Amino acid sequence: MLQILTVCGAGLGSSFACQMSVEAVLKELGVEAKLDHTDISSVGGAKADIILSGKNFEKQFERYTLDCPTVFLDRLVDKKEIKEKLTPVLKELGAL
Amino acid sequence: MEGLILNEKNVRLQVLASDWEDAIRIGGNLLVEQGCAKPSYIEGIIHAVKELGPYIIITDGLAMPHTRPEEGALNIGCSLITLKEPVLFEGEDVPVKVMICFSAVDSESHMDILKMIVEFVERGLIDDIAKAETYEELLDVIQTN
Repeated sequence: MLQILTVCGAGLGSSFACQMSVEAVLKELGVEAKLDHTDISSVGGAKADIILSGKNFEKQFERYTLDCPTVFLDRLVDKKEIKEKLTPVLKELGAL
Repeated sequence: MEGLILNEKNVRLQVLASDWEDAIRIGGNLLVEQGCAKPSYIEGIIHAVKELGPYIIITDGLAMPHTRPEEGALNIGCSLITLKEPVLFEGEDVPVKVMICFSAVDSESHMDILKMIVEFVERGLIDDIAKAETYEELLDVIQTN
């Protein structure tokens, strides 16, 4: 199953809230996925098909080599923005 | 659900804060007063924001200050403050006017607090919450909209 990871500074607040919004968007789109959240320092070894995080973390992601698409959000719980940015990625992965 | 999480003890409205650090200290102190966090937890939040950027801002106008449990969280808890004069975080264009601080003891069990926050955002309540002058007005916004 598709694995989606949301990432923030502490790995339990903003990323968890973002996960809830992503979950709602996926439900709307009819996509099944396994969701989880973590902190930026653990992202190097994390396994995921798609990663979502805040814009303010974009620079910090540069130090990791990730082999999955990464989506950066201005507003972590904005379903409209999540849908807009996630849909093309899901299509690319064949999940939509 | 909101009624259980927010109460007159963990809410302060139209607070005067000199900057974002001051605002986090005011909101964080409410967690300390409730026995949910040690003062070190507040400093942990401020330190993390300085190091990682304002990851606690999840939408325009709303921040949810928090950090890792090992920084001094004692229990699950939250506080809500609204700012008379919104505060700006470094690198952000939109000032924050509502802050919901919370403490967590692991990465899952504070889910109800986050659900409440996400619900406030989805229902578009942040502006109205920021305008509330009294606790009763706040309850009105949360419960009737």
